[in-house]
Amino acid sequence: MPRKVAVVAGGLSYFSKARRDKTQEELAAEAARMALFDNDINLSKDDIDGTIVSYFSDHFENQLLFGSIIQDYLGFNPKPSVRIEGGGATGGLAVRDAYAHVASGLLDVAMVIGFEKMSEVNTAKGNEFIALASDTDWDFPIGGFYSGYYALMAKRHMEEFGTTEEQMAMVAVKNRNNAQHNKFAQTNPKMNPYAMKDGGKITVDDVLKSPYVAFPLKRLDICLMSDGAAVMILASEEKAKKITDTPIWITGTGAGTDAMRAGDRPRTLSGVPMLPHEKKEWYKELEYPGVHSFRAGRESARQAYKMAGITNPLKQLDLIELHDAYTSSEIQTYEDLGLTKYGQGGKLIEEGVTALDGDLPVNPSGGLIGAMHAVGATGVMQGVEMFWQLQGVAGKFHGSDKTQIKNAERGLIHSHAGTGTYVTATIMER
Amino acid sequence: MTEVYSFDPLIIKTPYEITYKHSYGKTTKFFTSLSDGKLMATRCDHCKQTFLPPRSDCPYCLRETKWVQISGKGRIHTFTTLYFSGEKFLKDLPFQLVYVELEGVDTLFLTRLKTKDMKKVKVGMKIKMKISRDPEWRSSDIWAEPDE
Ligand SMILES: [Zn+2]
Repeated sequence: MPRKVAVVAGGLSYFSKARRDKTQEELAAEAARMALFDNDINLSKDDIDGTIVSYFSDHFENQLLFGSIIQDYLGFNPKPSVRIEGGGATGGLAVRDAYAHVASGLLDVAMVIGFEKMSEVNTAKGNEFIALASDTDWDFPIGGFYSGYYALMAKRHMEEFGTTEEQMAMVAVKNRNNAQHNKFAQTNPKMNPYAMKDGGKITVDDVLKSPYVAFPLKRLDICLMSDGAAVMILASEEKAKKITDTPIWITGTGAGTDAMRAGDRPRTLSGVPMLPHEKKEWYKELEYPGVHSFRAGRESARQAYKMAGITNPLKQLDLIELHDAYTSSEIQTYEDLGLTKYGQGGKLIEEGVTALDGDLPVNPSGGLIGAMHAVGATGVMQGVEMFWQLQGVAGKFHGSDKTQIKNAERGLIHSHAGTGTYVTATIMER
Repeated sequence: MTEVYSFDPLIIKTPYEITYKHSYGKTTKFFTSLSDGKLMATRCDHCKQTFLPPRSDCPYCLRETKWVQISGKGRIHTFTTLYFSGEKFLKDLPFQLVYVELEGVDTLFLTRLKTKDMKKVKVGMKIKMKISRDPEWRSSDIWAEPDE
């Protein structure tokens, strides 16, 4: 039997387009210090038994084995450490790996250290490095890059289900405007000293009028590229109860995968992995997964729900931190997570279900569009956010009470790589 | 000499270049067939699946696949027009990418669409694959054009 595992602390750095004031390891220290000193815990640095280090690319710094630099810089030698990498899902996979380390008994107290510093190359080169995480024999040489791949998938979702650019714009507005109450967010110049100058609130019109990057995706439909770090501390049940009065339990975790080239995914009828509340006949006519949906996201949710005993996610979850790399992929993911039927994701945002004051708020932090996307830190940031939300202290950390979801008891964090190649879903509960 | 970008904090510029000797392995035949004007895909007879890009080994059963010639005719499954790209392709902008459903192929194939009128492009539009006479030995040696 696996041991029960809790999150007991979290910390973030300020996120920024370019944190030239600090090195990558100094950013990790900024987040680790917050995790150790700003949470209400009875834990010292020496109580950490090992680390899980989460970063995506060796290219951004042209430094291999950066995990070792982190382990050394933060003073954890000679304790065990492992580096986890899985594209955009690096952070989610690292949280899952830390869970496994503690659940299995390999570690009693584990620190997850996520970071990325993407600013040391220009934006076009950064996009190229990220595009190297697509098939470099076939998809990259024709000029493929991620906004293009997601645009192709978004266009197919529109064609298949009638999703609109306005609905996508609503996602951008929700996430960007949520971020205006989160002091760590890159688009929040009022509260974050390292924020972009042209941040602040936006409207649907602003999004629709922003220039196309890859039709149908516009500049404001697309996530940020960030420098920053995020740190979580996980502990076994026995340790957790000594460390804090309010441990937040990890009660479910799932991971799914799909083809590196989205075109290689099967196109079969009724190929949808079903969730408990769904009916086979809903999807009789649906070619699945095709390029309109993320089978890996569905599979990760299916496993996590089963483990946590969730039979109706819309009713049983109080909030979600979702990997909104694109506004379109947030809409697609609503469906993969079973918050609504396949094809109805656009309606969910339109009806305000996922708004801060909706039935199931998604990305109160601002997500990747409003707050940050420092790849290796992203999934860990979601875990930190969920931890603070479920402890009821999000307001204290964000510097504003507006983002705290009242009486939140259970939430899901969703981490996503590639064109949906690796996806994780993890359930956290008070 | 090291180029300094800023003194506080100290930021230096460090260039980096590399050339790979990249093998296409058993999919070499795809590229060499293009010079004979042939578009080749691979097929697993056991699973009745035809793959493009070619796979030498069937992902469903792990049997070896065989080469089959395809017509290169098909339809647009979805498209995008790019106004931004990775550094390498900035000079080509704007351009269009399409997933195409090709006759006799079970996978969708991602390729460039070259057309005089980008505004007319629609899902379902007929296309045919074209082969470059001046090979670069990259997947960009083939592309789609409207099939009117
Ligand atoms: Zn086979």
